[in-house]
Amino acid sequence: MNDEQLHPLIAAWLDGRITEENSAALQDMLRTSAAARSEFRRWTQLDAALREQVDQSAEAALPKNVVPLPAPAVRFRMLGWMAAAASFIALLSLSALWLHDRQHTTARSLTSQAPEQTNTGCAILTRSTDAEFADTKGLRVGDTIRPGALRLTRGVAQIEFFSGASMILEAGASLELVSPWEAVCHTGKVTVRVPPPAQGFKLRTAGMDLVDLGTEFGVNADAGGATEVHVFEGKVEAHPENAAMQLLSTGQSLRRAEDHTLSPGNTRPEDFPSIEKLNAISSTHAKERYDSWWQHMQKAKTDPRLLACYLFRHGPDDRWDRLVENVAEPRVPSRSGGAVGVRWTEGRWPMKDALEFKSPGDRVRVNLGKDIYSAITLAAWVRVDGLDRKYNALLLTDGYDPGNPHWQIYEDGRLMFSIAYLAPADQRVNKKNNQIYFSPRVFDLTNQRRWHHVAVTYDNQSGEAVQYLDGQEISREVSPMHQPGRPIQFGPCEIGNWGLPTQGHQFPIRNFNGRIDEFLIYQAALSPTEIHELFEIGKPE
Amino acid sequence: MTDDTPERIPTAGRPDAGYEAFVRLLVEHEPRMRAYLRGLLPTWPDVEEVMQNASLVAWRKFADFEKETNFAGWLLTIARFEALKHRRNVARSPLVFSDDVWESLANEAESAADSGSVRREALERCLGKLPPNQRELVLKAYAPGAHLKEIAQQAGSSEQAFYKTMQRLRAALLECISRTMAQEGLV
Repeated sequence: MNDEQLHPLIAAWLDGRITEENSAALQDMLRTSAAARSEFRRWTQLDAALREQVDQSAEAALPKNVVPLPAPAVRFRMLGWMAAAASFIALLSLSALWLHDRQHTTARSLTSQAPEQTNTGCAILTRSTDAEFADTKGLRVGDTIRPGALRLTRGVAQIEFFSGASMILEAGASLELVSPWEAVCHTGKVTVRVPPPAQGFKLRTAGMDLVDLGTEFGVNADAGGATEVHVFEGKVEAHPENAAMQLLSTGQSLRRAEDHTLSPGNTRPEDFPSIEKLNAISSTHAKERYDSWWQHMQKAKTDPRLLACYLFRHGPDDRWDRLVENVAEPRVPSRSGGAVGVRWTEGRWPMKDALEFKSPGDRVRVNLGKDIYSAITLAAWVRVDGLDRKYNALLLTDGYDPGNPHWQIYEDGRLMFSIAYLAPADQRVNKKNNQIYFSPRVFDLTNQRRWHHVAVTYDNQSGEAVQYLDGQEISREVSPMHQPGRPIQFGPCEIGNWGLPTQGHQFPIRNFNGRIDEFLIYQAALSPTEIHELFEIGKPE
Repeated sequence: MTDDTPERIPTAGRPDAGYEAFVRLLVEHEPRMRAYLRGLLPTWPDVEEVMQNASLVAWRKFADFEKETNFAGWLLTIARFEALKHRRNVARSPLVFSDDVWESLANEAESAADSGSVRREALERCLGKLPPNQRELVLKAYAPGAHLKEIAQQAGSSEQAFYKTMQRLRAALLECISRTMAQEGLV
């Protein structure tokens, strides 16, 4: 099949202007080639989708108050036929109302200048322990899950539907998420918890549909086709295929065997995943990860290239709660930090401390001394909760004097490293040459509120700034203003803010919104392998 | 699917439960039916007419529909039958395919797995990526009651050039949609 021949023919047919001769040619292709038919189908589907899209845009352009009630349904091409049937009208007004809302939503993203961010999910992955998914690799806690297949091949996971229903899955569970209100369990074991607003949540299995009337039940669908439902709390309507509905209450179970016979019984909660089991497994797992990280850090903190190593461990004997200890060895206590405003909270694991930065005044002050360096590395574990400011501080020197490094996240989610030097004498116009290095955009709504490893290395000989996210190099750049050998100096600085700018400057607000639970500063440019190792050592899962 | 409301099992005793269930199903599967029929019928007015007929037939027969079986398949079967009936009444023209071609298109379209809702989202995104004047052109061409000749004149191009542009834009959109859906794991 040749697209160059086929496309003009399909287009002509769609536009209603195909000639007798071309129609014969098109039909010949369609007759003999499945690929041509498939292409034809794509074009006709696009035609239909565009038609629908435009209908909705036109719809959205109508001022709301001229919409004729009580029969808004007539505005919808297809539903027009129904308006003729009087008995439908009351009902249609209702369904048309939500339709109207929905269509406004879809149309808006097409017409507005800056489209609102949209999402097509129906649930969120809220917890996972040692979990591996078959079709949706890379699914991480906090991710939105779209309707479709969800197969857990390892570990335990909890998902929360947008309706409010939550579900715990065990390894082997094969599901299909249909909507916030409905899922299909093909095989495996799941436990569902349904709070009042999600009552009516429906779980379907091969031989039985279950409608939750509130609270908790477990389902086990085995590969052979037998299904069991156990009600741990509340009531569930079981609709077995070809049999009457049964209302099951707390303590009751119902099994539908391969041969379709139904047998009632008592519940066996121990056979199903539960929140308690998930808690136990995840705390064991987290403890293992934490211990492994801690072990590695014992060695990492003796790296002679370290200028400072903040592991954000809340010291039990720090009565004032404000010390952010520099644990690099040999110890240099003067490089320990002082917390201002920030509060201690949970880090990458439940047993790991972190500092939370929220208010415009929150910061950690550190003084790294007046020494000068020829290369540096900044590496931190951060959880970005939002990018509220134009510049969101990671680490900034108090001023921005020649050789002072600044490390921030720009408002659009790009990591930004900068260092300034005086312009050469012959080009000086009272200005500094500001070497700014941007990474590609890395933070957006999909990865905020999750722990990420960020790092940057800068070498004053090569002039190269290399930026990393989660152990992967994301940018490598030399500034055109670079001149080899100019010194790098920290002096007093702040983690998470820029509160003491040089005199005479406006007081910009650059407070970081989120958490930090590890911050390493080296007087050398670490290699990509070393950065990757830091990520591997510390990754939460 | 992007349906944002629950699809509850109709409760016995409420007279309108069946209507509601039917309307919901129909609304949900409307894009699929429209796309299906567009590939089988020569013009949009034909598509609209058959959609209305098929919807009415589906409603009349809804009591026979076995709940929890495949509504889309059931609806498309009805749509196909209505399309076939309609075909007998339309005049022969280059737009009307011969019986054997029509048969294989109908068979394959019915079984072809596709999800209208997912495509729509990808389509929106891809339309957004077109330069504004080209997007404008596409939207105008698909506006209800649009006359392609007039749009071509307004755009200041010859009819032939305009058709060529439309063909190119469609191909570009399809290409972008496939890419988007593959990237987003929507396929």
